[in-house]
Amino acid sequence: MNKLLLSLLILLLAAGCTERINVNLDNSYIRLVVDGGLATDSMQRSVTLSKSASYFYNQPPPMVSHAIVTLTDGSFLDTLREELPNKPGVYSLDSNFRGTIGKTYSLDIKLPEVIGNVAEYTSSCKIMKVARLDSIQTEFNPNLGKNGHWQIKIFAQEPGDEVNFYLLKYYRNGKLMSDSIQKWSTSDDKYFNGSYIRGLTAFYINNGNPWETLHPGDTVIVQMSGITKEYYDFIQQVQQAGIQIPFFSGPPANVEGNISNGAVGFFSAYSDSFARHIIPKQ
Amino acid sequence: MKFLKTCFTLFCLLTAFHVYSLPENAKKYTVIGKVSDKNDGESLVGATVYIKEMKTGTTTDQYGRFSLTLPQGTYNLVFSFIGYTSYSREIKLDKDFSLKIELSTEQKELQEVVVKSDRTDQNVVKPEMSVFKMDIHTIQKIPALMGEVDVIKAIQLLPGVQSVSEGSSGYSVRGGAPDQNLILLDEATVYNASHLMGFFSVFNNDAVKDVKLYKGDIPANYGGRLASVLDVRMDEGDSKGFEVNGGIGIIASRLTVEGPIKKERCSFIVSGRRTYADLFLPLSSNKALQNNRLYFYDINAKINYVINDNNQVFLSGYFGRDVFSNQFSRMSWGNGTGTFRWNHVFSKKLFFNFTAVYSDYRYLLGTPSGATNSFDWNADLRDLGIKGDFSWYLNTNNTLHIGGAVTYHMINPGKASGTGSETVFTTIQVPKNYSIESGVYATNEQKFGTHLVATYGLRLSLFQNIGPGTVYHYTPTHVAIDSSVYKTGVIYNTYGGIEPRIGLMYQFNEKSSVKTSYARTYQYLQLAQNSSAGTPLDIWFPASPNIKPQIGDQVALGYFRNFRRNTIETSVEVYYKWMQNVIDFKNFAQLLLVDTLEGQVRTGKGYSYGIEFLVRLNEKIVSGWVSYTYSRSFRQIPEIQANPYPAPYDKPNNISVVLNFQLAKRWSVSANWVYATGAPVTFPTGRATIAGKIIPIYSDRNAYRYPDYHRLDLSVTFASKEKPHRKFTWDLNFSVYNAYDRHNTWSINFVQDNVDPNTTYAEKIYLFGIIPSVTFNFHINHE
Repeated sequence: MNKLLLSLLILLLAAGCTERINVNLDNSYIRLVVDGGLATDSMQRSVTLSKSASYFYNQPPPMVSHAIVTLTDGSFLDTLREELPNKPGVYSLDSNFRGTIGKTYSLDIKLPEVIGNVAEYTSSCKIMKVARLDSIQTEFNPNLGKNGHWQIKIFAQEPGDEVNFYLLKYYRNGKLMSDSIQKWSTSDDKYFNGSYIRGLTAFYINNGNPWETLHPGDTVIVQMSGITKEYYDFIQQVQQAGIQIPFFSGPPANVEGNISNGAVGFFSAYSDSFARHIIPKQ
Repeated sequence: MKFLKTCFTLFCLLTAFHVYSLPENAKKYTVIGKVSDKNDGESLVGATVYIKEMKTGTTTDQYGRFSLTLPQGTYNLVFSFIGYTSYSREIKLDKDFSLKIELSTEQKELQEVVVKSDRTDQNVVKPEMSVFKMDIHTIQKIPALMGEVDVIKAIQLLPGVQSVSEGSSGYSVRGGAPDQNLILLDEATVYNASHLMGFFSVFNNDAVKDVKLYKGDIPANYGGRLASVLDVRMDEGDSKGFEVNGGIGIIASRLTVEGPIKKERCSFIVSGRRTYADLFLPLSSNKALQNNRLYFYDINAKINYVINDNNQVFLSGYFGRDVFSNQFSRMSWGNGTGTFRWNHVFSKKLFFNFTAVYSDYRYLLGTPSGATNSFDWNADLRDLGIKGDFSWYLNTNNTLHIGGAVTYHMINPGKASGTGSETVFTTIQVPKNYSIESGVYATNEQKFGTHLVATYGLRLSLFQNIGPGTVYHYTPTHVAIDSSVYKTGVIYNTYGGIEPRIGLMYQFNEKSSVKTSYARTYQYLQLAQNSSAGTPLDIWFPASPNIKPQIGDQVALGYFRNFRRNTIETSVEVYYKWMQNVIDFKNFAQLLLVDTLEGQVRTGKGYSYGIEFLVRLNEKIVSGWVSYTYSRSFRQIPEIQANPYPAPYDKPNNISVVLNFQLAKRWSVSANWVYATGAPVTFPTGRATIAGKIIPIYSDRNAYRYPDYHRLDLSVTFASKEKPHRKFTWDLNFSVYNAYDRHNTWSINFVQDNVDPNTTYAEKIYLFGIIPSVTFNFHINHE
């Protein structure tokens, strides 16, 4: 519904103009940044460690290598292996590892040297259930926007006995199109708890963007993940970070992650459900 | 009961004191009267009645009435009002009697009884401070955005008042939050004064008579808000002849009809306006815009009936709606108010007013039905209230006001439900809440000799939450654990407040005075909003077992001096204000459609202080004002941040220049220039990369500022020839908003470059470049 609100006011905002400006900013202390996690399948099984930088740093984030990263669920499970020299700062689980629904996983990080006076960090996340995705459909809506939009609709039975949060991503011909957090779609079950979700639009894809639009014959896969409330809130906060619209935005604040000792970021663990659809040729 | 007892005791004490203090020796008589406009018969509020011999006087009340009790003798009374020719009248006071005084506007003066030298002015002699009163003619001279002259935009140009965001109708008074302002239209609360996201306000100038803003020293008859009261009075209608006023502008048109139903006894006024920018949208080449609808309209109406010398009633109402729709969604919102008032004169010394008010604010948001995501979402707030007020003119030295008010608040914070059979949405109803807000007050204005006037009073307020209602219980960390449900009619929570209001004025002479005041105010209802400009999706929420009432204390000291026969008024005021239980919200608060809104509220303290310099001109050629304000405003809410932080309205330096030059009979030029320190803002002091997105790591709350704000607006008005008894007059107004094209910051976003994802930059959004406009106004008079 927030998105709808935004669309309602586009007309007014269209009157506003933008220009780049120079702003003098101070630098706060450096923090560890943690990003990644695991899933009930092999789609997600790595964690990236980097350092925060000054706001106008304008280079790839400085990575943190040679950390000892271990995963536990009460007892030791695995030590994540850094993929040196190709991917410094990226620590991966064993390729056979699969998360289990209902389990709480903990990630422990020991850094070779302190960041922000701290060398040891920890975090944990529980794998929530996910509603089974029955099917998906695609539909071209020519009236939406100048070039029309593709809509990807989902069908699933929403369980009514619990509060659920969902993360949705889509793939086109095997390639992950939701390749940055900005392109992820999220939903809670507040407005349809316990209902049969009969064709709710999860993605609107602008047909005017050739790099992302769909075509007849394309294979579309939707990945629906059951996530925790904390991760759901985190994704929303990250998606809105940096943007202030005086009509809606509250005061800016640091995103709230789940890593201890003041590190930024989130260690996530979730369950997945997939559905596939081939767009029929005329 | 204890509350009522206290009130009763207070009442007895106050009255007893003054009855016994009456001197017994001199024979005294009372003259009462009414001061009105000679032209259309409308009463003049706050006109000065000056007794030459006594070097003292009074002012007319909200209905243009006054009452003076004086020892037997002969007196010269001088009646004056800004923009009107003063009038002097000798009275021989050997019995009680009543007077009807009609003043004519200065333009039409015939050099009859001009007594300029004796003209006094409220700025110096009236025992009230931190007040700014404007009649509609002053407001109409101010250049405005798109030519749509606006009450709220005029208020924002006053010292001590800050606009919350460019173009917004929200304003902060002396560092208070926008929801700490009480906005009244004929005594009915207006909960959202915005049209079109705030670019225009709900007040239609053609239907407004005058506005008065209390920034402090709030009289005891007002309550319920911490920062200010904006009292807007609707026009009563011409009781002498028919008039048609209208205006055609680039975005809106207005039409007003007024006239007598029964000559000099009963009058009416009906006023309407509508914007029509959307009528041009179908011509747009952008297909998406063609089906959009975006407009507002409003209607004001009032009937005023003078039954006899002792009884007068009126009925007034306002209805307005904003409508936005396109093929996917629709949205509408607006206010409605209704007022019935009865003024009754019990005796020459005792006046009574009874008022019944209704106010309503609601919004609806929805999509066409028949789709999987079809839904309707609505919310509303309704008030039903009555007020009674006695004005008791005990003697020359004491004027007593006693009264009370009860308001029943009904709030539906939101209901969203799917529509049509296809929808996947279920129904969500946020629990409705009901409350009763009441207050009784007594206040006395007492003169001690000719130099000192004290105004002292007390307001006792009471707030009760009444069932049906649901109250959530929270842990100290604001997690809702369970809830209590209360049945209809059960009073499940009560708050009371003792609110002293004290003012002292020492008048050095006719030209200068010093005034000081203290006021405590309670606020039981607040707005759930954490954005700076706000949306129409307003949710007001009451004090409750979880939310304590907000309390404000303000002290102020001012020096007032008039020059050049009162045509130049100057003042300096300093104030300090403490606020308790002020409201803020947790980071990333979700305020819409949530049951546990109260769990997201964080409360603490606030304080603000400032100094305001004002020079107000009312010369023949130049009129307007120049003001400079230095002020600060802070919040201290430990759960938001350990250290105090600047309030969003903390803009230390503020200059307003609002001037109108009557260059020639038919030409006038207006200009205003405003300057304000940039609003405080939280900026990034670092960045982190999460899943491909660079996110900011922020500074302390409001540690930075936007660039300073300044803007010049100009307008030129060319009017038709002034001739006596001319039936049709008109004027043509050209105005330019933001004349030197300053790109004032509306917001600054921190954006990741699309091409090089490692680069981030700051991007400013500004709303307005130079905006020229033209408005044609006309006036038809049929005597």
